Amino acid sequence: MVIVKRKELSLAERLYLPEIVRGLSMTFRAMFKKPYTRQYPEEPLPTSEVTRGQPRLAVNDDDTIRCVSCGLCEIACPAYAITIDGQETDRYIEREPERFDIDMLRCILCGFCEEACPKDAILMSDELELADFSREALVYDIEMLKRPVSKLRPRIDYVYKVNDRW
Amino acid sequence: MELLITIGVIVAKLTAIFGFVVTLAALTTLAERKVSAWIQFRHGPNRVGPFGLLQPLADGVKFIFKEELIPDRANKLMFLLAPSLAAMPAMMGIAVIPFAAESPFYGDTGPLAIARLDISVLYVLAFSGLSIYGVILGGWASNSKFSLLGALRASAQMISYELSLILSVMAIVVMSGSLDLSVIAQQQSTGSLLDWNIFKQPLAFLLFLIATFAETNRHPFDFAECEPELVGGFHTEYSAMRFALFFLGEYCAIIVMCSMTITFFLGGFAVPFWADAPWFIQAGGFIAKLCFLLFFFIWVRWTLPRFRFDQLMGLGWKTFLPLALANLFVTGLLVALDVY
Repeated sequence: MVIVKRKELSLAERLYLPEIVRGLSMTFRAMFKKPYTRQYPEEPLPTSEVTRGQPRLAVNDDDTIRCVSCGLCEIACPAYAITIDGQETDRYIEREPERFDIDMLRCILCGFCEEACPKDAILMSDELELADFSREALVYDIEMLKRPVSKLRPRIDYVYKVNDRW
Repeated sequence: MELLITIGVIVAKLTAIFGFVVTLAALTTLAERKVSAWIQFRHGPNRVGPFGLLQPLADGVKFIFKEELIPDRANKLMFLLAPSLAAMPAMMGIAVIPFAAESPFYGDTGPLAIARLDISVLYVLAFSGLSIYGVILGGWASNSKFSLLGALRASAQMISYELSLILSVMAIVVMSGSLDLSVIAQQQSTGSLLDWNIFKQPLAFLLFLIATFAETNRHPFDFAECEPELVGGFHTEYSAMRFALFFLGEYCAIIVMCSMTITFFLGGFAVPFWADAPWFIQAGGFIAKLCFLLFFFIWVRWTLPRFRFDQLMGLGWKTFLPLALANLFVTGLLVALDVY
């Protein structure tokens, strides 16, 4: 059996009023502290290169797409979210995608496509917001997926750093 | 012609004071949310209008467009009547509160109040007592356990605290020898801060202030609503505008109670060190005091936890009633001995 010894309260504590004043002063001081809340749409969450956001296609500085439409990401994708049709191109790499769709509703952000890609062409960006009014609008086509490589650079560097172990 | 002017003045005063009170009640709901947010390190509503100032308007529009639900087997008449019964007496009380010593309206002499009564103290106390009917009827007519429990608690609480509330006011009445609020306010309006009744009757002020918290069902005594145990208490089953009406009534009751506290204890329209201030300074001073007291109500709400119901009853009957009686007795003695 546990016997709880209650503390004898002093007169001030039993009157309760001094304690109320103390509480009031505490809440009054709290009013002038900086709020912890983040004002989300205006103040987005900071992300790091570790963030595995939605996959995006890297575009070189000379406006050519890195993807060679090899189809490895399409095969690697566990959710069958990627659809690629290739076509010939005059560039050195000879092939490029004609169509590159990612169904964002299917994508599970696993990053397998990024791992499968031999050309660092598909990368997990830091973009996280995904909302629209129809399912069709959330099937992103190649134009919506293109991002300049400079924007994806931190992620590329991070992937290389991690893969250095092997 | 004479009659037209009289009616015009009454309508002007009604519009001004009533509009002011309802607007202030709406703004108090915003202040409630803002202050609670600041105390909890949040921002509070800031999306609708600058600093969220249009939030009460948005809330009002939302309430109007919501569906009205009447529970099955509820007593329909009482259910529909209760919100107005809760809101009306709360608003009626403001009619006799003097906002300034002299009315600025043409052909209108006397203090700035909608109605001048010799017994305005009785009037305002009677109407604050009436506002419990809305709560009881609403809780009973809802045909819900939670509502009924909330209503029962509210009635017990109001009856207990009404006693000490009135007894502490009686000390003031004995001291000033008048049941007229404007006379009580005028007696404090001598320019000296020490003539405010709070300095002559500190104990009565304390009792009155705490009893107003119980009387308006505010934290830490909001047993009528009591979200954690009673869902919403007496207004559990209410929705849309009827719910908003309960809310408006609650905030109007707080405003009236604060006005009473100011008139009885904080000098009413008296401006410190300026005995014959013009009417707009007096009204401004009154409003400033009112805003501070409203802030105090909100501040206390977000500081203190709710008491247990038996603690509330014990406090009311075993502490407040004897204290208020003793205070009244001592005041009477001092008045008889010509000390006051």
